[in-house]
Amino acid sequence: MSETTFRGWGRGIAVFGTVAIFLFPLMGMPAKTYLTLTIAGLAMGMLLFLVASGVSIIFGLMDVLNFAHGALFAWGAYVGFSTFKVLMNWVEADSVFQNFAVFFIAIIAAIVVVGLIGILLETIIVRRVYGSHLFQILITFGATIVLVELIRVFWGPNDEVMTVPLTFRGNWDVMDVIVDRYRIICIVIGLTLYGIIQLILKKTKLGTIVRAGVENREMVQAMGHNIFLLFTGVFAAGAGLAALGGLAMAIFSLQVYPDMGSTYLLFAFIVVIIGGLGSVTGSLVGALIVGLSYNYVAYLVPWAAAGANIIIMIIILLVRPRGLFPVGK
Amino acid sequence: MSEPILKVEDVHAFIGQHHILQGVTFDAKADAVTVLIGRNGAGKSTVIRTVMGLLPSSKGKIVYKGSEIHKKKPYEIARMGIGFVPEDMGIFTGLTVEENMRVAMLHDDENTAQRLERTLDMFADLRKFWKREAGNLSGGQKQMLSIARAIVNDTSLLLIDEPSKGLAPIIIESVIGVINQIKTNCVVILVEQNFHMASSVGDRFHILDDGVVIHSGLMEELVVDEDLKSHYLGISKESG
Amino acid sequence: MAGETPVQIFHLEERKSRFRSAGFLINTGVLLLFLSVPLLFPSFKTVDLAVKIMIFGVLVASFDILLGYTGILSFGHGMFFGLGAYCVALVMGKYGDPSYLNFIFGMVVATIIASALAMFISFLSLRVKAIFFAMITLAIAELAIVLATKLSGFTGGEDGISVSMPGIFAISFSMGDFMGFEVTGRIVTYYFLFLSCLGLFVLMLRFTHSPLGHVLQAIRDNVQRAEALGYKTFIFQCISITFGCVVATVTGGLYAVWVGYVNPESCLGVTTIMMDVLLMVIIGGMGTLYGGFVGAAFVLIAQTFLPDLQDAANSLFPHVPFLHNILERWLLIFGILFILVVIFFPKGVMGSVREFIGRRK
Repeated sequence: MSETTFRGWGRGIAVFGTVAIFLFPLMGMPAKTYLTLTIAGLAMGMLLFLVASGVSIIFGLMDVLNFAHGALFAWGAYVGFSTFKVLMNWVEADSVFQNFAVFFIAIIAAIVVVGLIGILLETIIVRRVYGSHLFQILITFGATIVLVELIRVFWGPNDEVMTVPLTFRGNWDVMDVIVDRYRIICIVIGLTLYGIIQLILKKTKLGTIVRAGVENREMVQAMGHNIFLLFTGVFAAGAGLAALGGLAMAIFSLQVYPDMGSTYLLFAFIVVIIGGLGSVTGSLVGALIVGLSYNYVAYLVPWAAAGANIIIMIIILLVRPRGLFPVGK
Repeated sequence: MSEPILKVEDVHAFIGQHHILQGVTFDAKADAVTVLIGRNGAGKSTVIRTVMGLLPSSKGKIVYKGSEIHKKKPYEIARMGIGFVPEDMGIFTGLTVEENMRVAMLHDDENTAQRLERTLDMFADLRKFWKREAGNLSGGQKQMLSIARAIVNDTSLLLIDEPSKGLAPIIIESVIGVINQIKTNCVVILVEQNFHMASSVGDRFHILDDGVVIHSGLMEELVVDEDLKSHYLGISKESG
Repeated sequence: MAGETPVQIFHLEERKSRFRSAGFLINTGVLLLFLSVPLLFPSFKTVDLAVKIMIFGVLVASFDILLGYTGILSFGHGMFFGLGAYCVALVMGKYGDPSYLNFIFGMVVATIIASALAMFISFLSLRVKAIFFAMITLAIAELAIVLATKLSGFTGGEDGISVSMPGIFAISFSMGDFMGFEVTGRIVTYYFLFLSCLGLFVLMLRFTHSPLGHVLQAIRDNVQRAEALGYKTFIFQCISITFGCVVATVTGGLYAVWVGYVNPESCLGVTTIMMDVLLMVIIGGMGTLYGGFVGAAFVLIAQTFLPDLQDAANSLFPHVPFLHNILERWLLIFGILFILVVIFFPKGVMGSVREFIGRRK
């Protein structure tokens, strides 16, 4: 079967699955609760998307298994935390402008710092283990330990409370439905990033080269492109995305703690398994599925929330092991 | 007699533990189409990939236009004016024909734009399916796209690996026509198992067997040498 | 001799020179060393170190069966270790009295559960790419820790379970003197563990040198060729994974016997057990069972002397709190060491030795 037939199936399953997941829980709860949960699920999904998309593209392009993504996520959260601490008066200020400004400053700080860490990681460590998945897992696992311990060294081992900028707190009352402000912001962030990534991938020459490289790394090199520079760049971009996800998640969950990366990394991996390696759209769809199902199940059957995702992952593995939107070789 | 544009001197290469190239020496002159022929597993594709830098050579020298390239990276080698058409064509199936060409085009200047036009003149189908996803092209069209990508830059040397593989005879004829057109603009080194194609476009040949060049000469001589053909190419005296 | 194939002649010659080879002499030397530790170095610290080296040596070797011989990386190995420890502790400590029968019963129960779990894991490893498999095993391992902590009614939660040993293994036991040494329960336990570990290790050696083991190595090196040759690779991998995991479980049970106390962090912890095992297998050398002991010895001895290193740093550089901070985070040092070893020394000690010997031939 050709790639396109598979993609047709993937779209079909994704649409059907998402619609089903969307509508099914409606049967078990009042409409307002449903809406609240849906928004919470979408928000969580968007944050997962940020982390998962980085993992997906890095693997798709570089064939590198990056276990350290969770640590990069945590670093992003902590850099954001420090930025807020330094500019605390802007965070607490009753000014929309200042709140958003400090938020953007934190985002930029997180992306820059973690991006640099990503570059160091790729050039010094990851580059030496191209070609061996086993050593990649081992070495990025070691890198995770080091990065998380460094968090403990610089920031201390305890959980810290993350202050939310004033404007982001609280709810909006939309047609008698209480909607958490920050969750909407997360959804907006996620969709914007998705749009930006797709724009870069589809409309710029760089993006086209990256997409070509995901399909056939060797050919892109043989056509005159410095694939190593590309790798470092994509790795840093993936790290930046993870940092953004970490910062957003810190505000979302109101706390930062050194091990926060590992929980979300597991979710991110589930997302990538469901969505398919190398596909940004797959990461988005997978992330939404994971986020929504987690929230619905958490409400209906609390102890089974994490398990529900693992079950979905197992189903996908049995039915379509390469994921919903597989790309590639 | 012109200077060889490419000189391969005593090149050894390993794939894993297998010593595939065991001292390959040959050169490609600028005024002729050079064909590498030989049995399956003789190492023909490996030679091309090693020239392109996709495989490291453990010993030996490769000199292109006077510079040593055997230690360079593939993208550096490509940028020196060497085009590569791999055995599996290397088409980016998820990208459109246009995007495939854009990835190939290394510069965004007038010259490249003009070359693109001329290339599309040569391959009418590509112009027709410009916005079509490359995965939807037929086998012959994919082969044309692969060749088009390799010549859209200022290519001086074109390495083509088994272009006739998997193609219907009538398509092979059009590929032959294309190569005959191209060879006026750049030097072609062709790896081929299909003797009809090899003899239709080739001027000089080198026979590879067990990782070394065992025989070289002019194509017009090989065509009539039945013994050589049957011994090294397995072409029986009846068919040829 | 007529009628003997070259392979048979080769094996015969190998067997003849076996007793004279350096490897055999070293092995015997090490065995004698471990045999005499409680007699020559009776301090508890040393005996404890020796026991830990033996137990972790076997554990790492069992991990090597998965990693080096079957070619899969599972972060769940620590969980199997903890499973064995907990089963023994539960049967002998919480829900029953310390008795020889209960000990055996605990081991049997642990083995059964471990086998089932291991088969699930091997099925999973077939279906998923390496990284997802690694991640999932990590998740399962962490889930195990959470369960052990949360189901405190059953498992004793964070406080864990204490186990005391029966009869001649009891700490308070004393059999009187033997050639000037007091034979305590500790000493008896030591030799029991010594024999058990030796037995397990020999079992693993036989496994890898058996025809089954050779098929496994073929599979590890080239799956497609092995399948083309007609081997049902999956079944072999399943057997080998189950074997490795069961040995790990038994090792955990032995650990519980020696330490007398199990709790989630010390027996199941990823950063405690699993990280140690990874470091030991890399330092020792993958795909070489002996590497397990080399790595275990190296890491455990270093860990024992780390506090001394910290003291030395404190006295040499008293005004550099940053350095103290870093040294205190021994996990950080571990991580850096781990990365360095993976980059510069991926074959580990045994691997490099084997390569060296191979080249000299």
